[in-house]
Amino acid sequence: MKSNGKRKGRRKRKQRMRAWGEIIYNCPYLIAVLTTSLIVVIFSDEIGIRAIAREAQSTMWQTMDFGTLKENLPENVEEEYVITDVNDVENLDKYDIDTMENAGKRKEEINDMQDDKEHKNDIGDEENLENTEEAVKGVTRFEFYEPQETDSYYYSDAGKVALTTDYPYTKENISYFNDAIFIGDSRTLGISDYAGLEEADFYCDSGMTILKLLDAGGVTYQKTGKKEDLNQVLQQKQYGKVYIMLGMNDLGYGNTDMYLERYRHIVDQIREWQPHAIIYVMANLHVSREKNNLDTEFNNININDKNAASALLANGTDIFYLDANPLFTDSEGFLNAELSFDGVHLYAQHYDAWREFLLEHAVEPMDAEPVEAEETDVEATDGRDPIE
Amino acid sequence: MLFSGVGFLFRFLPIFMLIYLVVPAKYRNVVLLVGSLVFYGVGEPYFVLLLVFSVLLNYGLSRYMFWEPGSPQKNRKKKRKRRRKVALVSSLIIDFGMLFVFKYWDFAADTVNSLAGGETVPLLRLALPLGISFYTFQMVSYQIDCYRDTIQEPAGFVPFAAYVSMFPQLIAGPIVRYEEIADRMQNRKIGVRNLENGLKLFTVGLGLKVLLANQIGTLWNTIMSAGAGNLHITVAWLGAASYSFQIYFDFWGYSVMAMGLGKMLGFRIPQNFNSPYVSRSISEFWRRWHITLGRWFREYVYFPMGGSRKGKLRTVCNLFVVWAFTGLWHGADWNFLLWGMLFFVILTIEKNTYGRRLERTAILGHVYTLCLIPITWVVFAITDMGQLAAYLGNMFGIHRTEILVGVQQLVRYMKEYWVLFIFCIAFITPFPAKLYHKYRDRWFSIVILLLIFWFSVHEIMIGSNNPFLYFRF
Repeated sequence: MKSNGKRKGRRKRKQRMRAWGEIIYNCPYLIAVLTTSLIVVIFSDEIGIRAIAREAQSTMWQTMDFGTLKENLPENVEEEYVITDVNDVENLDKYDIDTMENAGKRKEEINDMQDDKEHKNDIGDEENLENTEEAVKGVTRFEFYEPQETDSYYYSDAGKVALTTDYPYTKENISYFNDAIFIGDSRTLGISDYAGLEEADFYCDSGMTILKLLDAGGVTYQKTGKKEDLNQVLQQKQYGKVYIMLGMNDLGYGNTDMYLERYRHIVDQIREWQPHAIIYVMANLHVSREKNNLDTEFNNININDKNAASALLANGTDIFYLDANPLFTDSEGFLNAELSFDGVHLYAQHYDAWREFLLEHAVEPMDAEPVEAEETDVEATDGRDPIE
Repeated sequence: MLFSGVGFLFRFLPIFMLIYLVVPAKYRNVVLLVGSLVFYGVGEPYFVLLLVFSVLLNYGLSRYMFWEPGSPQKNRKKKRKRRRKVALVSSLIIDFGMLFVFKYWDFAADTVNSLAGGETVPLLRLALPLGISFYTFQMVSYQIDCYRDTIQEPAGFVPFAAYVSMFPQLIAGPIVRYEEIADRMQNRKIGVRNLENGLKLFTVGLGLKVLLANQIGTLWNTIMSAGAGNLHITVAWLGAASYSFQIYFDFWGYSVMAMGLGKMLGFRIPQNFNSPYVSRSISEFWRRWHITLGRWFREYVYFPMGGSRKGKLRTVCNLFVVWAFTGLWHGADWNFLLWGMLFFVILTIEKNTYGRRLERTAILGHVYTLCLIPITWVVFAITDMGQLAAYLGNMFGIHRTEILVGVQQLVRYMKEYWVLFIFCIAFITPFPAKLYHKYRDRWFSIVILLLIFWFSVHEIMIGSNNPFLYFRF
């Protein structure tokens, strides 16, 4: 009896095993997807448990008292506003009237900042500061407004719009771009395709990011048709002007502080490779009302936040901030719907306006490297003598 | 919620399937209904109420159709007939009325206002509830089938509600008829093979959508971003081709995903596409493209109006009505009406003149179809009439402005996209489907499918550009 029962049990177990075996045999794909998914869910930052945790945290932030939230913001953001203004102590009063709402507070900060002025000019313009005391310096101003509350990990409302660096620009003709290189994403590709700049070099790719710009692997460089890294391109040739417009594809890669740090690193790196070039940091174009999505990172508040951060890199001597947005946006800052198919990229015919804007905001190369056009245009730069 | 999103793939689907498989079979319809409402409600928290409301109303009316008063009455048959008619007409008025208000009101008001001059009819500016065109058509088909006695036994509330709101086909079809799933609603077995093959099919659909449609869509977007009037003839055709690929793989991919999900749930969702681009005439194209929509219009509009049996003139009239509605179903704008009319003209000509001959001479037929289809899709794609005219002009070498996108860009586009084009061309033929059915259980298919799945997920993660074209409808 007993052994019979045992045998029955064993047979049953065997049957069950076989049934399981059959199930497994019948769905190898299902099992493969499930196991790989399990691995991904555990280890991936974006799909798995960590992403859920982050979402939960951000909803918790939303419900938290907003006062405590503000304390968590890194304080150096506030300080960095001022870097570009420090050089412009003379114009401070004008600046106050023009743009500042809480002027008292700002002045204090500026005074504080003047003390560590020396530490801050890390862009390598020390000699310029010494040698050209009376030279005209560009100032990058901000226009302030009442910021909106946001609850994103990636951005907050800057509460200010960075304006094109104030500077007595000269108007140049198209040969100005003969020794220029443009670095950017799909919109810069548009400049390359449609702005009629035959002589300029372009290092750009759709989807290019600040994060990956310096990575090896590179992009197909249009001049040679081969894949090249930025360091190769910038070390092969000395340019007079470097135009950068990046950041649209970085809107969701980390927050604005990280963005600024990465951008600063890139500008420093370019300065190292191109010691004599004027660097133009160009503002990312806003998107249309239709594309503006406050539920994601893809909106003008974020773009403006990033732009305002990148404007801090401009020093008014050899790094300038150019904002072409006023050419293409409506009164609320949305990209005009008639100018674009997808609300992100301009139609081909509008790149002419952009080119003209760049030509109207041209800065003379300030170093000894001779450029043909320079001699004739010296007067236009307020008598500054570029040749030592 | 999108099928091709992390929220669906790694949150909703696994949790839903787990519950669905664990509960006893008799509760599965309830789970399906609740799950579908959650699926819809995540994206449309307010319009889910509209969906529930119209399901309740339609269910009530369909029951009224079958209602029999207890005591025997005089004129019983006559009264029954009248009751059924009242129920049908009121359900049609309610369903189409809601569709009209949400989808067509502003278009109609705009037209009236521009004719009358001044604002006589106010604009509502309502958002379009997701999938309203699809679920309205499904409910209407149910009501008409009940009225016609095609459905002889009324569905219970949960099966009916689950049929309308079933998440695989809720937001972008196929438009399923109740009789196709009635049996499975009552009684369905879900074996491991169903799950396995359903998931495989879903993966194929996901790949079509993410790896083909989205990718080729960026070319169309690039070309359109350059501006509709600035294109060299070759670039204009390249753009039209890329949009044709995009809309096909997008919609086909979605339908295949729906079929796969349906299979995983134990249903059989009908095929919506049958290699439409290898047709030999436009008539054949429409027998293979969006099959369930064509069927709907044939069954519920064309045939009741007499189809092609009441003389040539009536046939042309009927075709006109069907294609005007088909055009407008796709969107409330003039270009969609124009698109429908284009098909009306082509199909009328084909029916009356060279249609038969085309289908006999295969090569000519294929060339003819492949030339016309990109043109029709351009009409479909560009809502702005001025831009549409400019683009069509470009396709025939007519330019009003300077050509800004010329051969130089064409070369660059081709360098970037030629591999993708080869894949697209391969996938409009029926061969990949044949290969799939032949080899889907082999180990290398499983490896390939797994690669497709994870590559798609990767693309979803890195790309923000993930639109469903058929979302707007």
